[in-house]
Amino acid sequence: MRLTIRHETIFLYDPPAKAIVQTLRMTPRSHDGQHIFNWRVDIDSDCRLDAGEDAFRNIVHTFSVGPVERLSVLVEGEVEAFDTAGVLRGTLERFPAELFLRDTDLTIADEAIREFARKTIVGSKTDLDRLHQLMDAVHDGVKLSSEPRRADASAADAFALGSGHAQDMAHIFIASARHLNIPARFTTGYLHLPAADAVQSSHSWAEAYVQDLGWVAFDPSLGQCPHDGHVRVAVGLDELGAMPLRTASRSGASQSTSVNVNIRQSQAQWQS
Amino acid sequence: MLARTADNLFWLARYAERADFLARIVDAALRLGALPKAYGGEGTEWESALSSAGALERYNEIHDRIDSTGAIDFLVFDERNPSSIVNCIEFGRTNARAVRTALTIEMWQSINNGWLELKRFQAIRRPGQSYDREQLAQLIDIVKKTSLDFDGSAYRTMLRNDSYFFQRLGLYVERADNTARLLDVKYHMLLPETEAVGGSLDYFQWTAILRAVSAHTAYHWVYREGVKPWLIADLLILREEMPRSLISCYENIARFLDAIARAYGRQGVAQRHARNVFTRLSNATMKDVFDIGLHEFITAFVEDNNKLGADIAEQYLID
Repeated sequence: MRLTIRHETIFLYDPPAKAIVQTLRMTPRSHDGQHIFNWRVDIDSDCRLDAGEDAFRNIVHTFSVGPVERLSVLVEGEVEAFDTAGVLRGTLERFPAELFLRDTDLTIADEAIREFARKTIVGSKTDLDRLHQLMDAVHDGVKLSSEPRRADASAADAFALGSGHAQDMAHIFIASARHLNIPARFTTGYLHLPAADAVQSSHSWAEAYVQDLGWVAFDPSLGQCPHDGHVRVAVGLDELGAMPLRTASRSGASQSTSVNVNIRQSQAQWQS
Repeated sequence: MLARTADNLFWLARYAERADFLARIVDAALRLGALPKAYGGEGTEWESALSSAGALERYNEIHDRIDSTGAIDFLVFDERNPSSIVNCIEFGRTNARAVRTALTIEMWQSINNGWLELKRFQAIRRPGQSYDREQLAQLIDIVKKTSLDFDGSAYRTMLRNDSYFFQRLGLYVERADNTARLLDVKYHMLLPETEAVGGSLDYFQWTAILRAVSAHTAYHWVYREGVKPWLIADLLILREEMPRSLISCYENIARFLDAIARAYGRQGVAQRHARNVFTRLSNATMKDVFDIGLHEFITAFVEDNNKLGADIAEQYLID
């Protein structure tokens, strides 16, 4: 599916912030399941935008501006995504998969999650089966919350509450998979749903490593493996590590942030 | 557009690009051959020129020894060599005439003028006798100019529709093939940093590679240091800003295939294959390439590029 993505984030500061430093992980890379036709990052203030990559080889942009009252960060581009049933090939891997068994503060499996993981996989034989069952169980067991998300919510918090956002479901999935000794990681990106009234938004899901198959993506909030409407942008050990946009500012007391994501399907094409 | 027309445009561009590449490798071999023997030259420059041109096998069928006269005659004039310079211009012009109405006046004139000039030079052909260096230099110049002129007039005068896209596609597929073949012949000289490197002869060999793709100045702009073999490999494989690098060719191939797909509203295996190759190149580092082995990497690339040529032919050029 060929998608045109436009993602604008506007920050308002009153009084003006003296200085702002931002780190963006908002630039996708091509792999066998997606092709980036073009992509650009546009900041509406004068600044130097440094491009680099982080330890997981996500493309990272950093910049600092100030003083500003209003700052807009716009990324836009055109991408074609293909349905590979979640299987990822041609991605950049720098580390052995076992690295992604490492726990982080947001993905510690407490007793409740450990029990949930053990119960869920009873009867399944392969890791792939276990992961699918886990994804279904998280999808069914955790309600999609309509409350605004608490920024530092961990997997255990959301699981105790029984409701959460896409990020929380991914965290629960990751915590459970790691407890079962399956490497797992957090993925950010965009999701396009064909339904006209569907909310077009940034999205989060998870990837897990299956022996002999490689990395496979699972979308617990959607309850299925990512398809040709998913655009994969960055990965990390948890949400913090893969966060699209992180900001640090000096002074600039009251701030409000508005996010505007627009994803639409470009002209239809026949595949032959 | 008729498949036949697309085919002619595609091959016209390929022949024009190939003629330019052949002229450059003849030029580079002449330079190497002019080095004093004291540098320890083994005199293999014509053998490697012939194999970069992919003409070594055919040459050996006809000649029993490799020398400069025979090689120049074979690479430039010989009609028995399907990709001699004379044949490339001849075939290019034949293709151009078949789609005369799809070309602009400037494009037709450039290839036709080149062809007429070459006819004049064929009079100097003396198989078996050594060639006058000055006349050869003039001839090489004319061939390079013909390609430049043709490429430039296509760029400046052609309507940006499917004709243009097919023409560009041919150019970049051919260019990727040429760069890859040049690397393949010289790969044993482009070893990673850890390998022992040779003396002054190697230096001339390396600069000959750079000159063959007119990247001698570009190299110094990009790296700002002495000529190092692994950096040459980096420049010719993974540097997007280098117009003859494999990745730059594939960036363009993916772009023009996409433009064709958009113009026709359908896409297929050629697009997918080109994107995969481009993605793999843009995700690769020089360390990955040397880990696989430069020779193995290039061999796999040449296969991929040939497959792309076949995919394009299957999808667009055969009716």
